[in-house]
Amino acid sequence: MLRVSALYNETEVDLRAVNGDAKGAAVGVEFGPELMLFAESLASRDEDLERRRQALLNAAGPAVLVDAAGVAANFQRMVRIADAIGIPVDDRSGEMGRHVRAELDLERFPSAANSVSV
Amino acid sequence: MTFFDYDQAPVPIRPDIAEAHRDYWRKLARPGSWWTGAERVAIAAESRNATTCRLCMARKQALSPESVTGEHDCGDGLPATAVDAAHRVVTDQGRITRRYVENSVAAGLTKEAYVELVGVVVATMSIDEFHRALGMELEPLPTPEPGEISRYRPAVLSEDIGFVPTIPADGAVGNEEGLWPGGRTANVLRALTLVPDALRDWLDLARAQYLSVEGMANMGQDEARSIDRMQMELIAARVSAVNECFY
Repeated sequence: MLRVSALYNETEVDLRAVNGDAKGAAVGVEFGPELMLFAESLASRDEDLERRRQALLNAAGPAVLVDAAGVAANFQRMVRIADAIGIPVDDRSGEMGRHVRAELDLERFPSAANSVSV
Repeated sequence: MTFFDYDQAPVPIRPDIAEAHRDYWRKLARPGSWWTGAERVAIAAESRNATTCRLCMARKQALSPESVTGEHDCGDGLPATAVDAAHRVVTDQGRITRRYVENSVAAGLTKEAYVELVGVVVATMSIDEFHRALGMELEPLPTPEPGEISRYRPAVLSEDIGFVPTIPADGAVGNEEGLWPGGRTANVLRALTLVPDALRDWLDLARAQYLSVEGMANMGQDEARSIDRMQMELIAARVSAVNECFY
């Protein structure tokens, strides 16, 4: 969806951001590094969350922080729905999806088996 | 008691988020389709206990979660199979397999109960994670309401995706008419439909925390949000990658 939204907005993004590259997150996305690192700390439950929350707040302000917290919390839910129920990706043959999965090496995740077997 | 009073929050929180959280807390306390109100609140408590459970931590480090045995750090009121499922959804969801779900069913947890449990765990977790993201204390869980479970099961189900039956794309009829706004669905929207209210609950929360289903089709700027779609999807993608979610 990051690639789709970037295409819609005619903006270049660097998908390495998805795997935690802060420089990549800066390409095409306003406050990209701060948003990416904040989301990363929440999902990984690491000790940097407070510092990264403050960095995002300082850079972008409270409204962005709250909306970012909502989206990150929402996807903490979404990934668990997908994996707990074992649903496959909707269109495994789509060219863009195939390219993105290859670029990010997503087949390394155990839950990829839910899509391979269908 | 007024839940989710965000007046004292460290940053101003949109009223629709507070209302969505309050609305879910009310639904959490009531009897569901397959769990009583007390059991639903107990499941929510286990979603919290999981984050500090020593057995879950040991399993997470193991090559196979089945290689580590022991007892979960947990509360009362739920069968052990339900506690285990709730903890796994929080701490090791990427290694839940069809075999795990089928073993849970063999141990007495029906697929319907499993789906409702997943729905309660993830809804509670998403609210808790919002609090943790902003450095706020977790909200006290609601007092359970008495009453009977409905045992509601949709009329049209298929077994073409996932570990449990789901409503097929053309099966949202009768009581489920309008379940997917706009008439188009996706596997993630179908995932919890063995218990349709579980999907309705997550859509209500997603509408406030992320976007409505209709809003997901808008790849530009939602006027009610301070971040644009690319910013949202960067956050979503990083959270998904950290969780090793292929979907």
